[in-house]
Amino acid sequence: MNQNEQNKEMTAQESLSLISEMLNNSRRIILQNNAKHFMLWGILLTVTSLVIYELWHITGNPIWNCAWFAMPALGFPIVRILDRKNTDVPQNVINKQLGLIWLTYCIFAVSISVIAMLAVPMNISLVIAVLLGFAECISGFLLKNWAITIGGFILGIGGAIFASMVYNEAQLLIFTLGGIILVVTGLIIKFQYK
Amino acid sequence: MFPKLDPILHSELRLAVISILADVDGAEFSYIKKQTGATSGNLSVQIDKLSAAGYISVEKGFKGKMPCTTCKITPAGIEAFENYVAALKEYISTEK
Repeated sequence: MNQNEQNKEMTAQESLSLISEMLNNSRRIILQNNAKHFMLWGILLTVTSLVIYELWHITGNPIWNCAWFAMPALGFPIVRILDRKNTDVPQNVINKQLGLIWLTYCIFAVSISVIAMLAVPMNISLVIAVLLGFAECISGFLLKNWAITIGGFILGIGGAIFASMVYNEAQLLIFTLGGIILVVTGLIIKFQYK
Repeated sequence: MFPKLDPILHSELRLAVISILADVDGAEFSYIKKQTGATSGNLSVQIDKLSAAGYISVEKGFKGKMPCTTCKITPAGIEAFENYVAALKEYISTEK
């Protein structure tokens, strides 16, 4: 656009096309930023679950589950570093709601884990699998993507069933699947809003 | 009888700016500049016109040590944008 073009008057059709182009471009940039977050947390979840699974399997000691707390401790600083490059990218409604959903998930997951470890023993994997599937499912609805919604449903319901049937370190494989689903979600967003 | 198009919005750059701001909480000058491909001077003039019409609010501050201008659409701006889009749709449906 040169300066004369920028200040010219347009036909009704040109105006609508411009509005649509600007909205879509802006939405694409904002949501592409989210794709990175999904991929980062997916990779962290996959790696953490496999490492804990292996350590628990080798030593036979479930105390290695404490290593889950390293995930947010490592993840949030990396998110800050990733976002430093895009400090001028604004927030829109979808982006804000996605952030709130996953922040709520994180608070619930950490709180329930602490309660289960210190006070009321429970099947944590089942609870967290349901929460993870639920958050993923709602993200799919917000992004209007059925693949993400169905992935969340399979993860939540399938994870709950698996966690009720298996009571050893194999439960952690639910989260490996969850991590892979998060990475795929990131890739879907990246290509959907390319 | 066609509804009159808002002359403030019926200009390519001003419409581009208000379209970007309609979807976000607020956007920095650098982001709007990148999205519209406008020059800083021209963009400043058009932002001032939108601000004078009460369609956007402009906050000048600092991000670290760098000056930072943030623009936000106002309720009057949202209403004007909605009316403008409705008027455009009416024009197009009549043309068909």
